[in-house]
Amino acid sequence: MANVLWLQGGACSGNTMSFLDAQEPTVVELIVDFGINILWHPTVGLEIGHQVSDLLNDCISGKTQLDIFVFEGSVVEGPNGTGQMNYFADRPMKDWVKELSDAAQYVVAIGDCATWGGIPAVPPNPSESTGMQFHKKQKGGFLGGDFVSKGGLPVINIPGCPAHPDWITQILVAISTGRIGDVLIDDYHRPRTFFTDFVQTGCPNARSFAEKIEGGFGKRGHGCLFYEVGCRGPMTRASCNRILWNRQSSKTRANHPCLGCTEPGFPHHDLKKGSVFKTMKYLGFLPQEVPEGESKLMYWFKAGVGKFSPSPSELKEHSK
Amino acid sequence: MALKELNISPVGRVEGDLDVKVYMENGVVTRAHTQAAMFRGFEKILAGKDPQSGLIVTPRACGICGGSHLYCASSALDVAWKTTLPPNALLMRAIGQAAETTQSIPRWFYAIFATDMANKKFANKPLYQEVVKRFAAYVGTSFQSGVTASGRPVEVYALFGGQWPHSSYMIPGGVMCAPTLKDITRAHAIMNQFRNDWLETIWLGCSIERYMEIQSWDDLMEWLEENESHRNSDLGLFLRAGLEFGLDKFGQGVGKYLAWGTYLHKDMYNKPTIEGRNPATISPSGFFDGEKYYDADQKQVAEHIKHAWYTHQEEGLHPFDEPIPTTSMDIHNLENSDFGGKYSWSKAPRFMGHAAETGPLARVIMAANPANKEHQFRDPLFGDIMKRMGPSVFTRVLARMHEAPRLYLKINEWLSQVRLDDEFYIKPTEQDGIGWGATEAARGALAHWIKIKNGVIENYQIIAPTTFNVGPNDKDGNPGPIESALEGTEIEDPHDPVEVGMVARSFDSCLVCTVHAHDNKTGKQLAKFKL
Repeated sequence: MANVLWLQGGACSGNTMSFLDAQEPTVVELIVDFGINILWHPTVGLEIGHQVSDLLNDCISGKTQLDIFVFEGSVVEGPNGTGQMNYFADRPMKDWVKELSDAAQYVVAIGDCATWGGIPAVPPNPSESTGMQFHKKQKGGFLGGDFVSKGGLPVINIPGCPAHPDWITQILVAISTGRIGDVLIDDYHRPRTFFTDFVQTGCPNARSFAEKIEGGFGKRGHGCLFYEVGCRGPMTRASCNRILWNRQSSKTRANHPCLGCTEPGFPHHDLKKGSVFKTMKYLGFLPQEVPEGESKLMYWFKAGVGKFSPSPSELKEHSK
Repeated sequence: MALKELNISPVGRVEGDLDVKVYMENGVVTRAHTQAAMFRGFEKILAGKDPQSGLIVTPRACGICGGSHLYCASSALDVAWKTTLPPNALLMRAIGQAAETTQSIPRWFYAIFATDMANKKFANKPLYQEVVKRFAAYVGTSFQSGVTASGRPVEVYALFGGQWPHSSYMIPGGVMCAPTLKDITRAHAIMNQFRNDWLETIWLGCSIERYMEIQSWDDLMEWLEENESHRNSDLGLFLRAGLEFGLDKFGQGVGKYLAWGTYLHKDMYNKPTIEGRNPATISPSGFFDGEKYYDADQKQVAEHIKHAWYTHQEEGLHPFDEPIPTTSMDIHNLENSDFGGKYSWSKAPRFMGHAAETGPLARVIMAANPANKEHQFRDPLFGDIMKRMGPSVFTRVLARMHEAPRLYLKINEWLSQVRLDDEFYIKPTEQDGIGWGATEAARGALAHWIKIKNGVIENYQIIAPTTFNVGPNDKDGNPGPIESALEGTEIEDPHDPVEVGMVARSFDSCLVCTVHAHDNKTGKQLAKFKL
């Protein structure tokens, strides 16, 4: 049994939409079978108006036990640090966030905006947005690098744009069943169980990656999207290709380059010219960014060899 | 006097915050102001960036309508880069757009709207018990099946786009995917399950084909009384309870409607241009002023900022002429807003100078235009309903739900038209230029305007349906559609103004709304609640 309060700051509600698509367990099963008591949520909450601000104040005072404070969306500090650009229940949202984070046993940031600022924080960051405990790759964010919730953990970051519903529901269940101690987190406060392997794990194009066979838009077959259209699957830690999305597919399975949305800094290179759906190149043909765990020189050497060695033809032919 | 015992049916509306201040006299709303309470500045973020940035950024403006933003963003680039679009690409995009909208139909009806019908305001009505049994939040029998069914159509979206929400599979020149027969077959199967699990069995109580025979209000009433299956379907219950509860009596609005239309025909928009777009839509575009239909010419749009927290802009500018927004520093605590001055983060868009309602009602009104072409929706039903009953909360909800059977048929038709041996993408040549892309998001007319200069975005302007519907007053003090629809609404219990919530929710404004109800004489705040 755990009381969950879910609020949205500079959000698009994409994580909520993703959460509503959850299966095993569904949102309803989460409540009925797993003892998750949602105190309030902007989409499904029953309380209204002053009932909401009273409820928030009861959480802050301790009258209502706040086990998990979930935050979706960036913390909006603009203009000029006032937070007036995101007003909620008679106050700047950031003021609620601070007090609720101090009151909660555990604080969970869901989605890139809440974890590291996400798209709203892309320069010039018009709303002065930041993440709960990170600003892009930099530890700190709104609550500060030293923040630890009452339960003894820093903000638990569940990144992704949006986060996969499994990542959300499983962490909520882990906390509510007293097993959060089994969840190890990495340097970016991500649960390792979801964010250790790369997106490439389970990608049907992985062999083409090894063989340096290029894929591209509108092409059938299993060409690799890393070489030309900017796929970040080899550099991005997430379980997308193992658990799939909407039970059906994943970006790379649908010939869509991975955007690297579970890594801090998404959208990468701040959307500068030439960085969107294009692989940024070194010397005109070598990928500027190389897979994690490889030195650039070694990777480029191998890539150069691979590029000019013959590719197995059966990979290029693929049934419709 | 802030009330604490409110029993407004819940359901925040995702996506940002909207405050509505309502003034009442003798139980009737005399004036209303809508206030958008959250700002992120996406257009400002896009300026100076890679021209394709909109494909990644704009779906994230709204997690509910992300596919619709993508449809616009890719179309705007198609125009600017003068791409060639293969028929398969137009089909794939239309399927994605229709799948997203179909998802929203049951999710919106059960999770957002129908729970209000279980409000105690209606407790003395004969059908109340049945409504509570089916539509009450969480426990209603239809609530769960409807919300569960809503996840199915976006599985089709995921087959072609990889995931929902937040795919970027539509790109200038086509789509990223090149589906196989397995994907097509699976998509048909998912849609069939959606039909069997909810659309025909729970919602209609009859076959889609039988429902599609309905051409007029009289036909609809005849259908209703035809048998118990029709009467007892959720649509049957909504028709009977909606009229019994008087939902047809309030929430009229501005009486002017705008639709950009959508679903560009696979063989009619292969060379994308601004001028060529409207004739190529399958769900037709148009502006209806209450009497006559006009072309939905994007040149007729202007945005006003007199009452919005932006500066350095003249009044009434077309999006191509608007500057990237500069935020005003003159922001007051929302509690103390000066409604003579700036009071919202939403601009006030106008079409031919008029505030215009966008959304499903606007779409079905355009579908009733006798001038529609052979390839377009031709459906006289809402032409008749508008003449007989006029706009209201009831009409708006019925319009939304009316779209589900037709979209089901269209998705299946488009799936069957995909030619697996043909192209899905033709690589375009990047160039500077201007572009416009538009669609119908589930909740209404959405459009993007882009200017590309020196290989980067010079200007990007988005007008969302919610901007049209919840925008504040314009420079002449004319209210926006929701502001207008609230005026004249009779509030039975000012401490629980559920009617206000129903009006706002009937537009499906894509915002978390906070309503502040004020007594016009004393100025006291009566009630305040999340919508």
